[in-house]
Amino acid sequence: MRACVLLVVALSGCAHVYGQDLPPEAQLHRAKTDDGVELELTRYLAVGEVKGPPVLLCHGISANARNMDLDERLSMARWFASQGREAWTMSLRGTGTSDKPPGATSFDDYWRHDLPAAVEYVRKLSGASGLHYVGHSMGGMVVYAYLSQGGQGIDAAATLGSPTRIDFGSSVESLMTNFGVRIVSPTGAVPSALGAWLTAPLQGAMNDGPFQRFFYNPQSTSPDAFRRLMIYGTADVAGGTALQLASMMKTGAFASTDKTIDYRADMAKVTTPILVVAARLDRIAMTPAVKDGYRALGGPKEWLLITRANGTRGEYGHMDLVIGERAAGEVWSKVLNFFDRHARKEP
Amino acid sequence: MIALFAAIVLAAAPSSVVTSHRKVVAEDGAALALYRYGSSASRLPPVLVIVDLGFDRSLADPLARFLAERGRTVFVAELRGQGASASGHSLRSLIHLDLPAITKVIGEPVQLIAHGYAGSLAMAAVGHELQVSRVVAFSTPMSPEPPTELQAWFLSDGARFSSLAASPEGAEIFSQLFAMGSALRRGGTRDLSRAMAAELLAWLQTGDLPLDDGTSVLARLHAYDTPTLMFLGLANAWAPSEACVLLRERSRASVQLRSFSRFSDGEDFAHVTALQGASAPSLIFGDVEAFLR
Repeated sequence: MRACVLLVVALSGCAHVYGQDLPPEAQLHRAKTDDGVELELTRYLAVGEVKGPPVLLCHGISANARNMDLDERLSMARWFASQGREAWTMSLRGTGTSDKPPGATSFDDYWRHDLPAAVEYVRKLSGASGLHYVGHSMGGMVVYAYLSQGGQGIDAAATLGSPTRIDFGSSVESLMTNFGVRIVSPTGAVPSALGAWLTAPLQGAMNDGPFQRFFYNPQSTSPDAFRRLMIYGTADVAGGTALQLASMMKTGAFASTDKTIDYRADMAKVTTPILVVAARLDRIAMTPAVKDGYRALGGPKEWLLITRANGTRGEYGHMDLVIGERAAGEVWSKVLNFFDRHARKEP
Repeated sequence: MIALFAAIVLAAAPSSVVTSHRKVVAEDGAALALYRYGSSASRLPPVLVIVDLGFDRSLADPLARFLAERGRTVFVAELRGQGASASGHSLRSLIHLDLPAITKVIGEPVQLIAHGYAGSLAMAAVGHELQVSRVVAFSTPMSPEPPTELQAWFLSDGARFSSLAASPEGAEIFSQLFAMGSALRRGGTRDLSRAMAAELLAWLQTGDLPLDDGTSVLARLHAYDTPTLMFLGLANAWAPSEACVLLRERSRASVQLRSFSRFSDGEDFAHVTALQGASAPSLIFGDVEAFLR
């Protein structure tokens, strides 16, 4: 047993060698929220002619900004920059190098404090009056909540695998709502980053392993890319956030922690154009979970199902939407096309 | 000890299920095939199984046998256009003509097991042409999603299942649409008529199917109030789960959902694997039997 632990730790150490630094063109910034938390923001200037507003990219749960810039090839940030769009990545509080404030952090903090600060900072630095936004998974839920409560400064958005309802009778829900909630405290954290770091060397060691089954589809993402994501693209999950999502599983409601805000109901008031993207084999944000958000939105809105039956070369899982080998051509280009069609004319 | 072991083995072995079939004639003269599994002595209501358009009763065979072995009388109907039944030229006639003819023979109320779009039609008939006490639904979109590119092509091409059996490319398309990579056999299918394929495509494109009595499937969905257990197939590319869950959102019924994933259950389930996959008996059939008991 001891030898196994030592081996895993040793392998994890080796795995760190593969961690990649940000490119020289990436500019590091810090934005301060209205409750005093400093957030990590990274700017990628547009390459060549500027063709539209800046794009702010936000990661999902248990993740950080590096999801949007894994390496030179698998980087939504660098890809948008190469298309003439200034791109910004952000790490929500408690992830990446952003501050981890004392006390409880919930999902509500992300849209109430973090996103407004990031939007204002990017608008100020770029000089743009409005931004475009891409949110993966919980990053999409954040923009749903933000816009549903009257959030400003985002002219168009795309959500990738973002659920608004997660009670579909699965055994994972049962495990989370009956057992998971008992071992998580609102002020604690789920140590998912450590788990990811320790198990990263095992990625690719077995075909059809549990990580492949849950997070990605080897048809679309290489085990090596996912291994690197686990090493430097993951973060612990704040206990309050985990409990809020567990409550979603139990009640079916997409609501604030104190239950006073029904985000799903308020999404009907959203008038910002939103492209809602789902992946057929997403086992974390199942297609009905993502479609629920699409149905709740007021519109204008568009639905995009990523599947071989719509022309992709492989089926996509949850993480394939951001680090998939062909995501630039099969997903991101469609997001950019949506943004271009909804770009507001600058005065 | 040996005798006890032998008794356990015998008890666990599948019993032979008595099956029979008969012809049912609809009001317009169309002949329909109706298959019975198990004896008619059961005190519980009969179970009526409707499998999806393009498939025949063999798709339901494992589930029908499973239930019959547990004392249920199960009827698997082949509606017009399916299996050995007469040709079909209208989806609406399945509701207005076929289901009344079948229930006249097997009696009411029934417990319904509905699969796919034909199952959706049967669910639209509940409370109208069909009196039902409980429903088990396998991927039944009563308000379908717009078709994927592959679905649109297949239906525009006349939903020719026979063409999918003719080549490796066809096998790949069948797998994508109905089995998501599973190597399940493609037997037990029949081409849809051009008219039915066009009607199904229009249903997917518009999200609703007008019926002859002035209502529509969607209008009937809003009034649907029969307790239902619904199985969702994450990998179902033919009747996707994002369309099926609208039953919970928009009907008045108590709807229990069950979903599976390859991560937690070893199986995502596609359109045919939910009824014929290797893990369907252990993950699904027991819940079906318990819900209907």
